[in-house]
Amino acid sequence: MIFFKQKDQYSLIFINNGFVLNRQILILGCLIFIMAVPAGWAEEVKIRIQGSTTVNPVVTEAAEHFHQTRGWTVLVDTQGGSSGGISAVGEGLADIGMSSKPLSEQDRQRYATVNFQPVSIGIDGVAIIVSEPVYLSGVTQISRAQMQALYEKRITNWQDLGGDRRRVVFYNKEPGRGTWEVFANWAYDGAKNAPLVNHPEVGSNEETRNKVGHHPGAISQLSYAWTESSSKIRALDIMTDEGEVIPATLENIQSGVYPLARQLYVITADNPRPEVREFIEYLLSQDGQRLVSKHGYLPIH
Amino acid sequence: MRLLIRSIKCGSYLLSAAALLVFLGLFGFLGSGSGRILQHEGLSFWNQADWFFRADTYGAASMLYGSIVVGIIAMCLAAPISLAGAIFTAEYLRGWPRTIVKGTIELLAGIPSVVYGLLGVLYLRPIVFEWTQIFLPESGDTLLTAGILVGIMIIPTVLSLSDDAFRSVSQSERETSRALGLTDNEVFFHAIFPRAFPGVIAAVLLALGRAVGETIAVYLVVGRADNRLPDPWYSLQPLVEAGQTLTSKLGGSEVHMAYGHSLHWSAIVTLGFTLLAIVMFFVILSEVLLIPFKKYRMP
Repeated sequence: MIFFKQKDQYSLIFINNGFVLNRQILILGCLIFIMAVPAGWAEEVKIRIQGSTTVNPVVTEAAEHFHQTRGWTVLVDTQGGSSGGISAVGEGLADIGMSSKPLSEQDRQRYATVNFQPVSIGIDGVAIIVSEPVYLSGVTQISRAQMQALYEKRITNWQDLGGDRRRVVFYNKEPGRGTWEVFANWAYDGAKNAPLVNHPEVGSNEETRNKVGHHPGAISQLSYAWTESSSKIRALDIMTDEGEVIPATLENIQSGVYPLARQLYVITADNPRPEVREFIEYLLSQDGQRLVSKHGYLPIH
Repeated sequence: MRLLIRSIKCGSYLLSAAALLVFLGLFGFLGSGSGRILQHEGLSFWNQADWFFRADTYGAASMLYGSIVVGIIAMCLAAPISLAGAIFTAEYLRGWPRTIVKGTIELLAGIPSVVYGLLGVLYLRPIVFEWTQIFLPESGDTLLTAGILVGIMIIPTVLSLSDDAFRSVSQSERETSRALGLTDNEVFFHAIFPRAFPGVIAAVLLALGRAVGETIAVYLVVGRADNRLPDPWYSLQPLVEAGQTLTSKLGGSEVHMAYGHSLHWSAIVTLGFTLLAIVMFFVILSEVLLIPFKKYRMP
């Protein structure tokens, strides 16, 4: 292949400098170029990353950094959320999994041969969001009991919570997504205790924001980082069981007062390649942590 | 020369056998994958609406209902419009306007479904929400929205195929019937339409298969709420509520969660099997419906 590469350079020089419009050289050059390009690709560093849409913006920007400075190919995909990322690493389909929930015992059992290595890269809060009309009509805070009543459809009209007469539309985050699990941990002390319900489901954060923003009676769970970028949705304050009202703000999440918060992880299998390790070290470095804050999450140190 | 013809003949037999083998393989794979869940659920997999994977109960009745309802709405919308359109393009348009119109329609048929899906999210959803206000809809993400969207999507396909069916009636037959003294309308209804009818039916059923199998556009606007069935069974209220279809379930992230969990995975595979069976049913139905018309075919 080296032979082709050298040839390739010569023919290119020919074309550029001498305006040698010899057809044969041109065609030969084109042919060699076409053959040499895949040979060059094969030597490139390639990292496959899959998982949570919550961790995605940070990792994608780090991926762009490595693509520009090193020419690495870093593929980032959000199929299946956190669970999808963990199974992809377990199956060996991805080098790094992004997850917004800690590894469960179940995950470890399912891939017993894989020794997962989770690394926390930031903290995220989950906000309970409603569409603007609901907020403006007087529903500005929510307690755990009220949340349960909404989730179980015991309350179906905002009137019962002090708002206007408007039907409640609960867009439930797909169970299995990290955001939903944070919600279930808060509202029901764990995903296992959450009742089985049939709400319309939403997947990605963009979809959640869009659907809640466009339906006047909507409520949903959304990553805190996504709440500020749209004026059509509002985050509700959380009323604790002791009667204390805690607004969903960055400070409250950072200090640990706000009850709906979680760590963000990148997960690899045992003994990652040096390039993969370097990528994770970058995420933990000052530059990497700056990306974490830039996307509305909290740095770990 | 004879050897060449022989080998070509042999090759074409082999290729048709391959098509059959692929189908049988798919059928066998999906069928054997459904064994586990059918042992667990039995017939209640299809006639009960209790899909709760966290509790290990799998009843797909609401998805079956959703798929059928979306298909019916799409058909009711697309069939009359396309038939009328096809009659116009085939019988009344001539020369370059016809070329342009026909080309545009075929172009529309080629637009990827995700584009229709996004247009549905942006424009159709709010419109449906507005129009159905008197039924107190949950949101704009409803089975009705999905049905209308799929209906719009399949219009170009049905129209184009029906148009081909009308055009395939030969000029000599048209001239013969004119020579018998029939009027324009009589020529169309008594000479052209009966000959083209099998083609129209085939177009409609092909499009119905596409409507039931459509995934991404439906996924974006159907709402994806599980286990909702009409009560009583003829109630139309579920049309303006969020629903779930076989394809929107298969397109969702639950497939990733199911992977590695054998019972859940088997349930997902059985959804695929059910979808295949429905499409197969339509294909067989179209063949059966066409039997009485076979005699009209050109010798």
